[in-house]
Amino acid sequence: MRVLSDATRRRFGLLMGAGLVAPLVVRKAAAHDGPHMIEAGIEGFAFVPDRLEIRAGDTVRWTNHDIAPHTATDKAGGWDTGRIAKGESAEVTFEAPGAYTVFCRYHPNMVAEIVVEAT
Amino acid sequence: MIRQTMFAVALAAVTPAIAQDQMNDLQIAHTAYTAGQLDIRYAHLALAISENDAVRAFAETMIRDHTAVNESAVALITELNVTPEDNDLSRALVEGAAAKRAEFMALSGNDFDCAYAANELGYHQVVNQTVEGKFIPWATVEPLKALLSDALVTFKVHEGHAEEMVAGLQCAS
Ligand SMILES: [Cu+2]
Repeated sequence: MRVLSDATRRRFGLLMGAGLVAPLVVRKAAAHDGPHMIEAGIEGFAFVPDRLEIRAGDTVRWTNHDIAPHTATDKAGGWDTGRIAKGESAEVTFEAPGAYTVFCRYHPNMVAEIVVEAT
Repeated sequence: MIRQTMFAVALAAVTPAIAQDQMNDLQIAHTAYTAGQLDIRYAHLALAISENDAVRAFAETMIRDHTAVNESAVALITELNVTPEDNDLSRALVEGAAAKRAEFMALSGNDFDCAYAANELGYHQVVNQTVEGKFIPWATVEPLKALLSDALVTFKVHEGHAEEMVAGLQCAS
């Protein structure tokens, strides 16, 4: 996910530099207000909130408030934050529209949904 | 099932007799830490013996979570600059766990998995009752109360996982 995201940004930057798609970029930015950072929590062995609706390009940042470590992991295997210790955060940027089921690899009963809408 | 009940009864026979006398903060800290370390030792034994994926995953979670809780406990103890105090309940837990480990080491395969799973369920039940019903009300230092409350959330999830693990095994009742 991060790799995809970086590649997309690089391509985007190149096109911007060439000045070829600048008008299109401005329109898109106005319509969607740019990508957002969405703050989410892990607390009491649950993802809070347990359902997020975001836009393609948005980043979700999970902060773990529990004493136990957790992960936020794509059930389909596409991405994984790795261990998030108490008080730490991890981010995932979502470029591709779609629906994701998130779970914790350490406590698989912890699940959440993320719906990524096209911009 | 029989093992689990016997264990619960055995621990219950020890626990109320000793834990009826109110413990101080340093004794509570010692016993809570000890209980976590003992569960980590059970888990290492499970990883050495069990070949069941669910049992191994549970054991890995016990090591990860109890290590995290006890690291927080050490951080608190260091911050408060105090020394936890050994006590009768800690000693009873250590003795009981040593006997259990000796019993487990003679087992293998499904027999081990069932004994470990039942013990984890019983152990977390007793520890949770003690933490919730005694240690948290008894604790006088606010950060210790807070740590115990956070830990209890974790231990209750473990109890739930242990229930699922027991239900997922084919154990003679
Ligand atoms: Cu988790």
